Amino acid sequence: MTARSVYLDHAATTPIDAVVAAAMAECMQLSGAFANPSSTHAFGREAAARVSAARAQVAERIGAEPESIVFTSGATESDNLALRGAMAARRARGAHLVTSVTEHKAVLDTAKLLAERGASVTWLSCDSDGRIDPAVLDDVLTDETVLVSVMHVNNETGVVQDIAALGERCRARNVLFHTDAAQSVGKIPLAVNRIPVDIVSLTAHKLHGPKGIGALYVRPGVSLAPLQFGGEQERGLRPGTLPTHQVVGMGEAFARADPASDSEHLRVLRERLWEGLAKIDGVRRNGSATHSSPHVLNVAFPGVSGETLRLAIEEIAVSAGSACNAETLESSHVLTAMGLSDALAESSIRFSVGRDTTLDDIDYAVQRTTEAVTHLSGFASSAPSWCTS
Amino acid sequence: MEYSSEVRRRLERPSCRGVLASAVGSASATAEDRSLNVWVRVQVEVDGETLVAARYDAYGCPHFLAGADWIVERLAGQPAAALTEVATGDAVAALDVPTEKIGKLLVIEDALAACAAKLSVSA
Repeated sequence: MTARSVYLDHAATTPIDAVVAAAMAECMQLSGAFANPSSTHAFGREAAARVSAARAQVAERIGAEPESIVFTSGATESDNLALRGAMAARRARGAHLVTSVTEHKAVLDTAKLLAERGASVTWLSCDSDGRIDPAVLDDVLTDETVLVSVMHVNNETGVVQDIAALGERCRARNVLFHTDAAQSVGKIPLAVNRIPVDIVSLTAHKLHGPKGIGALYVRPGVSLAPLQFGGEQERGLRPGTLPTHQVVGMGEAFARADPASDSEHLRVLRERLWEGLAKIDGVRRNGSATHSSPHVLNVAFPGVSGETLRLAIEEIAVSAGSACNAETLESSHVLTAMGLSDALAESSIRFSVGRDTTLDDIDYAVQRTTEAVTHLSGFASSAPSWCTS
Repeated sequence: MEYSSEVRRRLERPSCRGVLASAVGSASATAEDRSLNVWVRVQVEVDGETLVAARYDAYGCPHFLAGADWIVERLAGQPAAALTEVATGDAVAALDVPTEKIGKLLVIEDALAACAAKLSVSA
């Protein structure tokens, strides 16, 4: 760690809020609610009460009833449970799944697995802004379609999909609609009691909560088949001892999130960042600027390798795109789906601001990135056009 | 991804980046591999049979840029035949290039070989 470091990778994960950490700590020791919440003794009942309160906190944040919340280990497990659980539970209807090419790998890989096992999968494409036209569902939904899964906010670009319109089309055809809302909760409005969404994946660690805990909202009346067996916890959908401290942490994190104030703070930071970076010759913003979550800014720096730029500004924590892809050398599947060349996709960096980011952090990031791009551009002053377009 | 101090140093303070001022007695060649997202242009100046100066322009990852800098830096003072006898393995060791990136450095070899071919034609 250098003398100054700036964390602009909140879309990958966020630091735990101090109040959240304190609440979690209370649930780890004998003096607190450490017990197995399924136990019937007083210790267990105390833990169960904390779990119940946390379930209500999570539910309230998305406008749901507490009974509709199933705790999981995170959004990846939630996505798996949503897709595999819905396809298995509604096998009598058919085996058609619809999802998009810009989904998180948790959905992409699960859909590919389902395809290998016999499901028919339709992959929706996006436009150059990263948006999916909801009307496309009119052409792809059939009587055998079981589920449509489209993420709310893209983790690489911050692009927001019109899940209300997508959900309405699904509802009209009696098709289940799932959305991965890992990036959206706390940043933009999400109220499942106001839009026709049936299943929602949630996670705590993108919202200043702990890693290793997430949830799945399942609209009452919707049946999913469990993926695991060995207990009746979470209505049998997700057996296993509930980690009280993790659950309490998620509840506190969701309770403390305030989209009304947080989103404005994030938007101001993100726009100041873009205003500064836009002065660099040739830069382009990836993804819709109008339909975007306020915490993510994805920028291409043509003629400069993204990996090289990230090293040059390594005191600033940013990402090539999805942190889940950081160990691979492949270009972002999201950016290439939006029509970017491999070179432009590779020259792109995701900046993501958070509750604790300051204007000073942003100004420093702009200054350092500008210096680095200027320096690195000197390596390829006569590079051919494919390196820059 | 880990980067050695040598890669970091060459990225920060490259020794042979740019273009030679004199075009007299010089040859240049490019090589690229779009699937690996790398491009390089090497320019050398010869006096008789001796390489007196060399420069490069490059686009790619930190290991590729540092590799070009390391390899081209060693050309000056060498016989022209050195262009076809590049010690890429030494560069890989000196820069601690990960295995999955060694293929990128071979593109630099291609550019130098093309340079050598141009020199032999013009001789």
